[in-house]
Amino acid sequence: MNPFVLGLRVMRADRRTRTSSILILVGVAVATILVSLLASLPQAVQERSERTGWQEPISTSEEDATMRVSSTVDHFGDTAIKRIDIAADSPKAGAELPPGVPKLPGPDQVVLSPALAELIKENPEAMLAKRFAGAQVGTFGEESLSAPDQLVALVGHQPTELTSEAVPVASLNDGIGTSDGMLELLAGVGIVVLLVPSLVLVASASRLTAARRERRLAALRLAGATPRQVLGMVAAETALAAIAGALLGLLAATPLHQVVSHVPWAGATWQPDDFTLPVSISVLIAVLIPALVVLAATLGLRRVATNPLGAANAQERQRPKAWRLLAIPVAGLAFLGALASGQGSQLAVLGGLALVVLAATLAGPWLTSVIGGVFVRAWRRPALLLAGRRLRDDPKAAYRASAGVVLAVFTGSMALTVLGSIEAMAGGGSEYRDNVLYVRAEADSAKRIVRETNENLGQNGLRASAISVPMTYLSDAEGQQVQGMVLDCSSAKELTRFEGVTCPAQPSVLSPTSLAGQLSAEYEPGGQQQRLPADTPVWSADTADPVLANMALVDPALLPEVADKGTVTVVLPTTPDTLEVARSALASAAGGAEVRSLPTMLAEQDAKLADLRRVTVIGLLTAGLLAGASAAITAAGSVLDRRRTFGSLMAAGTPLGVLARALRAEAALPALVATLGAGALGVGVGFGLLTLIEGSIPMLNAWSLVPVGLGILVALIAATAAAPTLRRVRSEPLSDE
Amino acid sequence: MAPQWTAQPVLAGRGLVKRYGNEHALAGVDIDVTAGEAIAIVGPSGSGKTSLLHVLAGILPADEGQVFLAGQRIDQLNEANRSELRRKEFGFVFQNGMLVDELTAQENVALPMLLGDVAKAQALRAAREWLDQLDLPGLAERRPGELSGGQAQRVAIARALAHQPKVIFADEPTGALDTRTGEETMRALLDAAAQTGAAVLIVTHDRDLAASLPRTVAIRDGRVASEVPA
Repeated sequence: MNPFVLGLRVMRADRRTRTSSILILVGVAVATILVSLLASLPQAVQERSERTGWQEPISTSEEDATMRVSSTVDHFGDTAIKRIDIAADSPKAGAELPPGVPKLPGPDQVVLSPALAELIKENPEAMLAKRFAGAQVGTFGEESLSAPDQLVALVGHQPTELTSEAVPVASLNDGIGTSDGMLELLAGVGIVVLLVPSLVLVASASRLTAARRERRLAALRLAGATPRQVLGMVAAETALAAIAGALLGLLAATPLHQVVSHVPWAGATWQPDDFTLPVSISVLIAVLIPALVVLAATLGLRRVATNPLGAANAQERQRPKAWRLLAIPVAGLAFLGALASGQGSQLAVLGGLALVVLAATLAGPWLTSVIGGVFVRAWRRPALLLAGRRLRDDPKAAYRASAGVVLAVFTGSMALTVLGSIEAMAGGGSEYRDNVLYVRAEADSAKRIVRETNENLGQNGLRASAISVPMTYLSDAEGQQVQGMVLDCSSAKELTRFEGVTCPAQPSVLSPTSLAGQLSAEYEPGGQQQRLPADTPVWSADTADPVLANMALVDPALLPEVADKGTVTVVLPTTPDTLEVARSALASAAGGAEVRSLPTMLAEQDAKLADLRRVTVIGLLTAGLLAGASAAITAAGSVLDRRRTFGSLMAAGTPLGVLARALRAEAALPALVATLGAGALGVGVGFGLLTLIEGSIPMLNAWSLVPVGLGILVALIAATAAAPTLRRVRSEPLSDE
Repeated sequence: MAPQWTAQPVLAGRGLVKRYGNEHALAGVDIDVTAGEAIAIVGPSGSGKTSLLHVLAGILPADEGQVFLAGQRIDQLNEANRSELRRKEFGFVFQNGMLVDELTAQENVALPMLLGDVAKAQALRAAREWLDQLDLPGLAERRPGELSGGQAQRVAIARALAHQPKVIFADEPTGALDTRTGEETMRALLDAAAQTGAAVLIVTHDRDLAASLPRTVAIRDGRVASEVPA
């Protein structure tokens, strides 16, 4: 008989097979959705990168250049605005424009993205519009933006207005998007971390009918069916549900792509079409996942196919050996070794994860068996005896439900441990106080920037407070070198993190690093040196601020000619009320140089960390839900497998609570132990990873506990899932179904 | 001291009706079971004999009628109390033993006592004694999968009797056994029950078995069709 016809007949006749098929269908659909989503991530990054490549144009030689371009990030509050300042030198400049860029703005012209144009309209001119002064000559189309809500401005200038940060560019079309290695890595990890629980879910669903199917197929084998025929029937029965699930998953993935396109990454959301997979990849997913499921189902029934009597009699299984536990330290060390030698490459991380999966698969059943053994020896109540024997007798099956969550908890604990420690490293980074905006520029440009900024401030009724701070490299007689800010001490106390120092009466050098003997200054590394007066007093600046460790404060009177040389920082103190107006005043004068401040820098760091945290938590929750569903199905399945036993126990008066307690212990304890073990391993490997990151301080944080909490949640779901099935058995304890 | 039998029924059913949809499994059955007596309940498939057993044991609630245990009405008890009653006052022997696969023979026998909060050591000791009594020495540590059908059924009998119930319900206890093993198993059950004074209700298709018991109740279409002796 055609195996598909037989499969359909069984499904029609057997309610539990139908239930199992539906669950397989759902599991495969979920797996297909997740894989198609994760597989689309690199492509989405590529799409976004290609669309926004023009925002990061590549420099060319002066001969080939048709324009000068400076690409920076501005901020309005904590919101990032992409700003491209451009001075087109040649009529050829606008000959070929990137899709979505309507035209190149000339001097005093701007092209804005729709969202930025809207934001400008909503705010006072001095706060935002002033930065993009000029007539708006066009609006970007969506094909030039990372997402419909991206804030972008293309600001036109005279060539002389731009600072030296602007680079020569041949065409905006030459811009190449940068690949996002981090997101590609996360997509790879996500596929491993989410695909495994998805497949475990499918495996759990197919196990719902395992005992009955084994009996049915054993009977068929005993009746003369060949192993091939038997496996064909299993393959057909599973394939029907799996193929339907894969198709359903692909269908459901499309609307989900719209939802995912709203999840921000690297400061922007996505265009809805970014996640649309090519047909070839979709077909590959729709074929591969059902094929994997069918393969797993047939492999699981090899015993029946080759030895039907063995299956029918359900002989005792071999107990896992203790050597399996060695897999954990071996995998942990191999993971760290792979990462160390591979410099954290994607292949190393994914290979390491695969090793952990393998190690967990090997060690988990042994650990489960040991837990069972402890119960069997130490039981006082029948519930623990029943749970212990079940764990001891079939530890692989008992562990199977925990496999998905083990991986999720391990990866989550590892990621969040690393993330937490990196967060602890974040911060610092600027010698200026939080309320100070600053721009780096060449000395010539700096004078103009200071002048125009102060004019702009004056026009808005604010004090002309922008000043320039020349930067030097200060060396002492012993070759000790520090960076010198040429700024009088009282201004330094107001503007910089030297705020706590005591100002000496005469012009001096203040340095946290001890400097001895004759001091000399140079304005660029290796440039001409200028000696400071021989009797220059050097005071120790009493500060433990690490940012200032290699900085010194040089009184301008000691270097009177410095203002015309080297690099200068234009600094502008603000208050919370004047921040945006001041930023606009500085940005509109900066000629394409980036306006920085410590809070915006920290905000950027925060945004990157928030991205990582968000995807980690989303991934973990998804993995947790999948693992919880698997555990619940497994728990319900274990009741169905032993329905007659449970039914007879209930008929003989065993309280439901006793059986529920036994099932809870049986389901929850391996999950709990696996969660704690995987969490500890994840934290351990996370700490190991941190040793590869210079300056990191391994530390546990509250986020590291999230995966463990998730694992416990899964254990609780598993623990309670058997109760409804048990109650159904109680209503008719001695019926067959 | 030997138990004293009385004429008052230990278990009684009055006007028992059990319906499954529109089908009447029991259509008004009256039955009395005296302490220590052994009764065969016979009848064709679907006649209602298993339903009668389940209703009398409180496994299934009757739709109409009353069930009394030692004069006390038990059909109105809630599920928790009925479970307790089944655990303490009744013993069960099912076809194929229906032992718990994960437990050893000794643990299977001890299970009802353990569930009744008897201490572990005491329950296991009593279980071992019952296994010895039922000619199963040396099998205490075996799992059900390692026992023959007859051995498994003897373990089930030991389990049914270990907590000294008032009534033992046996549903096709020899259905999966060969004739000789079936006879031996039944003899073991009846002898052991006689020792404790438990009444035994046996649902069976086996005419020889029914004929060997002092009383037979024939069920047909959900009613008592005949009784021997009448």
